Formats: sequence, structure tokens, C-alpha cells
Amino acid sequence: MVIGFLYPHPTLFSIKLDAMKAILGRRSIRKFTGETIPDTDIKKCLEAAMAAPSACNQQPWHFVVAKDKKTHEKVMEIQPYTKMLEQASVAVVVCADPDLQTCPGFWVQDITAATENLLLAVHAMGYGATWCGLYPDDDRVWKIKELLGLPKQVMPLNVIAIGVPDEEKPPSERYNEERVHYEKW
Amino acid sequence: MEAIDAIMGRRSIRRYKDKKIPDETITKLLKAAMNAPSAHNKQPWHFIVVDDKEAMKKITEYHQYSKMLENASHAIIVLGDNNIQTTDFWIHDTSAATENILLAAHAMGFGAVWLGVHPHKPLIEGTKKLFNIPDHVTPLCIISLGYPEETKSPRENYNPERVHKNKW
Repeated sequence: MVIGFLYPHPTLFSIKLDAMKAILGRRSIRKFTGETIPDTDIKKCLEAAMAAPSACNQQPWHFVVAKDKKTHEKVMEIQPYTKMLEQASVAVVVCADPDLQTCPGFWVQDITAATENLLLAVHAMGYGATWCGLYPDDDRVWKIKELLGLPKQVMPLNVIAIGVPDEEKPPSERYNEERVHYEKW
Repeated sequence: MEAIDAIMGRRSIRRYKDKKIPDETITKLLKAAMNAPSAHNKQPWHFIVVDDKEAMKKITEYHQYSKMLENASHAIIVLGDNNIQTTDFWIHDTSAATENILLAAHAMGFGAVWLGVHPHKPLIEGTKKLFNIPDHVTPLCIISLGYPEETKSPRENYNPERVHKNKW
């Protein structure tokens, strides 16, 4: 299969991707082969997530790693844009526990930085991922909380569908000079 | 630098050499920022690039954790356009863009630190006034940048207690 050739399996070929190439080349990948990603690689992605900066280094994050297909099916019912979970290996639900904050008000930013690290690590290791939003959509948040048995104060921010890619996307040119202002607006 | 090493080794750098970062590097950082994912790919971000010493000193007058700006080469203000992204997703989008700038800076050998602004009203107002920011745009944070004058080893932040299998 051509795609398999373009994406040599990371555990076999140990891909090392340059940081700038990883940042500029990361795209949302929604087609997966259905293959399983080894636990050691998932752990590396979570290590990357937890290396994110956070306000006052408060690290208010939790991660629910769901490999269970029944859970994926229920997530697809709750969040309509998660259909790629059908062929995904894992769904990582990135959560915040606002009670862990020492500098209140920054938990959304902290969790998002961790999520971006997770996406970049996934891409750098040769896998693919899509970020599917939950918070601040109340309906999705409450249904996911119930599904995963999250404690009352814990907020799920997003679901990251991760798998072995079955599509290739070129880097997208998003640089827009009109959004850059020098010295003042 | 290899991507995983950049992610694992990035630290907040607050001490800088007295040296200017070239304009091309700043553009590279902004390219990295604008390649972040955003909800519905709306890309609601703006950036103000500041290298005027006086302006950076003025930030330190209202932002108590920004003293390192006195020795920084640049400050980049990351902003969200609330007309483009009308929900709170603008915070997610601009935070991901900010993290890309921090990682790109580290990967290219520069040092940076994320200074929080949103959601603190006095910091938002101070930034809006100083940089003439329109009503529909909100500053998320200020990134201080420079040539590093300190080295920090990677932090061991991985905490298995924060990982849950299938359910909480």
C-alpha cells in the first residue's frame, strides 16, 4: 500500500523529525489504518503533553486514554465531528482540574499548550491526530463527564483522536502578514 | 533540533544577552505560530511585534511578572480577534499558537517565556491602552524573547497519576 510506504511504521523506522518541520507540517489527520499504536509511544506523547508550560507551573492536567472501541462509539455520538475515531487507535480526552490551580484563571491556556505538545509529538513520531473540541460546549462537556466518570470539578477540554495515518497532507501555508503588527496595532 | 527533544527540553528563559534577534527569525516564529490548529480553522490570531525598549519598559510598569522584558530582544503580544472567533475557542487557538512560538524559539536556540495577560482585567486593559488595540481584539499573553543567558535542564514533569485508562 502506497500510504504504508509514505508512513513507515515508527516503531520499525524510528522517525526523527526536525522541530520546525514538525510545527510547520502538522495537519489534522482524519483517516487512519486501524492499526494499534504501542503503549510506549502513547506514553511518549503524554510526556510531551506534560512538558508544556503552565501558569505558575501548576500543571492542572489529566488525560483519559481510551482504547476501548465502545467508548469511541459513545464519544462519536456525543461529539459529531469525531467520526475518525472509527479507525483510530486511541482517543485521549485532555482534562483540567481547576482545583489544582495556584494561579487561577489560566487552566484553559495550560491545557491547550499541553494539547498542542501532544499533537506535535504525535506528528513527529509519524502518527496522525485530530483535535476535537468539547469545552466550552456545555452539552458535550456534561455528556463526556458522565461517560468517563469524571469528578465534579474536572473539565474535559478536547478529544484527540490518534492513529496510524491513512492519508498524507502537505504542509499548509497559513502565514498571513496582515495579522502581524509592528510596535503598535 | 529534533521535535521531541524541543518539546521535552523547552523551559522558561528569563535572562538574555544584550543582542537583537534578526527580523527573519521573528518571521519564522510567526510562521510557526500561524500553523497552529484552530477551531474550524478560523485562525483568529494577531501578533504585535515589539522591539522598542521604551515600550517594553512600559509593560513592566503594569505587569508585575515582566521584569525580564528590560533585557529582552523582543516582546510578541499574542491576540485573539473576537469578530473572527466569537466563542471562547479563541483562547484555545491563540494558546496553541503561543506554544508553537515557544517551541520554535527553543528549537532555534532562543529563549522565551509566556507572560499571562488574559483573563486578568488590569493586564488586558494596560496592554490594550499601550498598544492601541481595538475593542474586538483581546490580548492573550506577552512572549518575552532573547538570546539565552541561562541554561536549564529538561524538567521531569511526567506524572502517571494524571493518566487514566478508559475511565477516570
